Amino acid sequence: MGVMAAKRIFWLAIALLAALSLAMIAFVRGEPVNAVWLVVAAACCYALGYRFYSRFIALRVLELNDERATPAERLEDGRDFVPTNKWVVFGHHFAAIAGPGPLVGPILAAQFGYLPGTLWIVAGGLVGGCVQDFVTLFCSIRRNGKSLGQMAKEEVSEVGGWTAVLAVLFIMVIVIAVIALVVVNALKSSPWGLSTISMIIPIAMFLGVYLRYFRVGRVREASVIGFMLVLGAVIGGRYVAESPTFAHYFTCGGLSLAWIIIICGFLTSVLPVWLLLAPRDYLATFIKLGTILLLAVGILLAHPQMLLPPLTRFTDGTGPIFAGKVFPFCFITIACGAISGFHSLIATGTTPKLIRKESQARMIGYGGMMIESFVGVMAMVAAAVLQPGVYFAINSPAGVVGATADKATATISGWGFPVTAQTMSDLATRVGEITLFNRTGGAPSLAVGMAHIFSGTLGMGRLEALWYHFAIMFEALFILTLLDAGTRAGRFMLQELLGHFWKPLGRTQWYPGVFITSAIIVAAWGYFLIQGVVDPLGGINSLWPLFGISNQLLATIALCVATTILIKMGKKRYAWVTMAPLAWLVAITMTASYQKIWHPDPRLGFLAQASDLSAQLAAGTIPAAKVAETQHLIFNLRLDAAVTAIFAFLVLVILAESGRNWWLYTVGRKVPVLREAPMKLSRISA
Amino acid sequence: MTFLAKLTCFCWRLLKEVAGENDYARYCRRAGADGAKLMTAEKFYVLQLRQKYSRINRCC
Repeated sequence: MGVMAAKRIFWLAIALLAALSLAMIAFVRGEPVNAVWLVVAAACCYALGYRFYSRFIALRVLELNDERATPAERLEDGRDFVPTNKWVVFGHHFAAIAGPGPLVGPILAAQFGYLPGTLWIVAGGLVGGCVQDFVTLFCSIRRNGKSLGQMAKEEVSEVGGWTAVLAVLFIMVIVIAVIALVVVNALKSSPWGLSTISMIIPIAMFLGVYLRYFRVGRVREASVIGFMLVLGAVIGGRYVAESPTFAHYFTCGGLSLAWIIIICGFLTSVLPVWLLLAPRDYLATFIKLGTILLLAVGILLAHPQMLLPPLTRFTDGTGPIFAGKVFPFCFITIACGAISGFHSLIATGTTPKLIRKESQARMIGYGGMMIESFVGVMAMVAAAVLQPGVYFAINSPAGVVGATADKATATISGWGFPVTAQTMSDLATRVGEITLFNRTGGAPSLAVGMAHIFSGTLGMGRLEALWYHFAIMFEALFILTLLDAGTRAGRFMLQELLGHFWKPLGRTQWYPGVFITSAIIVAAWGYFLIQGVVDPLGGINSLWPLFGISNQLLATIALCVATTILIKMGKKRYAWVTMAPLAWLVAITMTASYQKIWHPDPRLGFLAQASDLSAQLAAGTIPAAKVAETQHLIFNLRLDAAVTAIFAFLVLVILAESGRNWWLYTVGRKVPVLREAPMKLSRISA
Repeated sequence: MTFLAKLTCFCWRLLKEVAGENDYARYCRRAGADGAKLMTAEKFYVLQLRQKYSRINRCC
């Protein structure tokens, strides 16, 4: 038997295994399915996608050429442009794209059951997210590592470029607010969690001084020391929580926590980057990668049963975690695990300046996103292994299920997901929390799921509380790092923008400018954060869809730019590769935007909820003490509607600009001019 | 050397590169070849960090 025949049989076997595993998770009813089927199905699909689809894109669509020198080789300067080993670039790229989104999104979308979310993560990842990352990375490599905004300006139009810049700034604000809300909900009334996270600030500052003055740039040894200290903080957190003296100081409500995070965000943005942000980022990155690996191993060793049904009754749009039907809201809720516009900013940032050979863009762009998507599948498993009643009790806001334990469990049991107040109380005690009711945002249920998987492995059942708080620490640590890094990047973007109007504001070393722009960015996301914290529906219901819509908007911009470039390259017959995910994204973002603004159900439509509250005010049914708060809520709902409308408008602008160009190129009324860097033969080996 | 030991060595070296611990040596080689005045390791470290965190370098 020839090698070719053996390869064909191998890939046929992978395809059959994928089909069998998918059939198991899709069609088995009435009994729990083992999570390993989900992992195997996803792994086989990724293998097939990488082997066949990414190869097709690399060879036929993009025609990657290793004879052509990359920017890293042509512009090598030893600092920004450096030809780098492909595994190192892969590590950089994956560490940059792996954020909290693929962990939290699937947890929230599990309210529809595990099936819709999992299928979207795998299919959306392979046909959408991976393609977007791969093609935008390729486009940037061919253009000296230019950013998405620059490419939109040069390849689409000036208007397209400005749309991209504005979209990125708006998205930063919403993203930071939403992820901050996830941390607030994870740490409120949790002295163990809050004391651990508080200890990380002095640990990071110690590492900052160590790396700056004592062992300059020795990141690995500093991270090992830091990890030990963080582990000590996690273990020590238990004693703080059990101490009658100290527990009081670390038990905070949502609003106090939000203000603490806002103040810390401002300080980190203006403090020297080496002191807190950078060392905490090193720590967060290593812990994040290690924990993801641990979760994968844990799932394989524990091979838990998935107790959540494949589909729940909430596909009809009546879900307690967020309102809206499975279409479009499942696809909006899971953005980062399937397709994330934010990745296009990374793929057109540092990564294209490090790649040695064009062919490596396949592994780094397509492969990196594939692993990220796999992380999303693991998060879905972590949600699905929980008892459905427990999952809904943790994630449902008090405004929907009721504020008391008895009322909440009665409501959730009434939906057909039995749970008792005693079960929840026992679980909270086992994981070292005061309560697990109404802990919206996804992070606490992810931590419970991860603790369940970890403690079910290697006979470590007695360490459930420790695993839970390790998972909370891991989530909060890298969310706070992203928050601080995002605030700082947003401040630089705003300074650049305002510098056009008044030059001193553009100077990044001018302290009044630094303070003013930092305050503007922090105030913008802080406003939305506070809004989410005081929202009686838990905040996630209104803010997470905004986050999903904004992220998919950015993906729309990236795919518009990519499609324009493909058409200009004379690859019109393959333009469907980027146009198909683009069409899907436009369908889901426009439908979701329309529903979030205009839907008559007050739980779904911002304006309907505002009108509902206004009517209650007019009828005098709101208690006098709550009138001012309700008026504020009405204003916030109208603001959310306006923000959604702005996002939808930006999508339409970039679409109109791109569509006009595609039409003009097709009918020959405009000559396509490709702004690629000139071809130069490569002199280095892979 | 066993496979596991080789893999561990590879991962440790990979981490060193990803963490940027070779960046200063690389810069010295490059700047030295161009005859430019070299920055100190400390100044180089702070400058690299400032550049890295002045743009979007982490995803949601």
